[in-house]
Amino acid sequence: MTNWHPTDEDLILHFYDEGGADEAHRIVEHLHDCAACRAVWAELGETFKLVDRAGMPEPGPGFERVMWARVQQALPAPRRAAWSIHVVLPIAATVTVCVLAGAYAWRVMHPSSAPAATKTGAPGGTLAAVATTTKPDSALGERVLLSALDDHFQQAQTLLVELNNAPEDADDFTFERTSADELVSSGRLYRVAARQRGERQFVQMLEDLEGVLLDVARTENGLRPEALQALRARIESQDLLFKVRVATKQVHKRQKDLMTTAAAANE
Amino acid sequence: MKQMHPDDAAAVAKAKGGDEDAFRALVERHTRGVYRLAYRMTGKPEDAEDVVQETFVRAYRQLGRFEERSNFATWLYRIGFNCAIDYMRARPHRESAEEPETLERISGQSRGPGIDDLVYASEIGERVQTALNALSEQERAAFLMRHYHGHSIEEICNALNLKTNAAKHSIFRAVKKMRVALRPLLESAEMQKQ
Repeated sequence: MTNWHPTDEDLILHFYDEGGADEAHRIVEHLHDCAACRAVWAELGETFKLVDRAGMPEPGPGFERVMWARVQQALPAPRRAAWSIHVVLPIAATVTVCVLAGAYAWRVMHPSSAPAATKTGAPGGTLAAVATTTKPDSALGERVLLSALDDHFQQAQTLLVELNNAPEDADDFTFERTSADELVSSGRLYRVAARQRGERQFVQMLEDLEGVLLDVARTENGLRPEALQALRARIESQDLLFKVRVATKQVHKRQKDLMTTAAAANE
Repeated sequence: MKQMHPDDAAAVAKAKGGDEDAFRALVERHTRGVYRLAYRMTGKPEDAEDVVQETFVRAYRQLGRFEERSNFATWLYRIGFNCAIDYMRARPHRESAEEPETLERISGQSRGPGIDDLVYASEIGERVQTALNALSEQERAAFLMRHYHGHSIEEICNALNLKTNAAKHSIFRAVKKMRVALRPLLESAEMQKQ
């Protein structure tokens, strides 16, 4: 027996058959002769056995069908009809009402802390009011922000899907451009509010979205096929659609948590 | 390199030509495999389902870039791991799987229960999953690819865009942490034997 002993790393590579034939031969011979290394090797093997034995929740029998339905729904589909103003306006109104109510309620509950800008009717409107009135410790501010972000992310998601599915020869992007323009404006205000509340993930999400939304908003003379392709490539390379879905899901979870907390506090 | 399932090859060729039924066959054949890796990565069933969905959507979009000589499952799992990493990075930190003290906490917890509690696969699974959650995203992905999916170091480097040494060290660190976290379980089982 030599003074050489395989390191833990050597043994791990040996276990995974990654160390090469000569090294494997050397380790096998050594393990035969060295009780101390054999003990380490045995413990490593037992650990891996435990990892292999670990069960996990298996999905039910209809899982394949359910997942296919979800996947199919998210696959690129033929271009749907352009957004209807009858759909978009109520959504925008909901956001505005929600934000207004939140800002108003905050001011009523905390009259002394309302900033001067909102008292004097400074430019920037209600969204700016929320951006400047939300306090880090305010559950109300959090609810208002989450509600606004929920709608914002869902609209952004719809817009991104529309862009992904638009035919190459589509020549009318007026509605997409207008929507992107509005989303840029509201997104900037939400970003201020989110930053004030220390919501780094949402701030980052809004920043990532703004880049693409600005590109869409600036397409005054329509989108040429190559520009549309570049936009799609950008959406895909940044995984924007996926990130927006995740952000939306997080917003929903946070909203649910807030409701649970509020219900518990009322009991 | 692993051989591609013969049915995969035919389905991929048809799906590339726009045959949705062929793509559906691929989804249904590989859904559970992708779910398992997604669950191990995220630690939550609902998150795993989101990752499965996104994995297949990305695969569909990138199908044109898939090379016929490659193995579809390997290619798909690579997309799955990257989706899971993106997913975990996108979720807020306060929700990231485990706090730093987790290893100590689960090590301490493990000393209590007897062997009867430990023999159940679900219990072990929970402990293993907690230990996995305590790894960094890179360590977890590299370890899962190596251990559960049998990917070589070279394949892991390609999938996670790592250099050889970085991939190896991710696996080393992961194994080291798993050993620390699971050692009490082994000791407990050993004591029961005696």
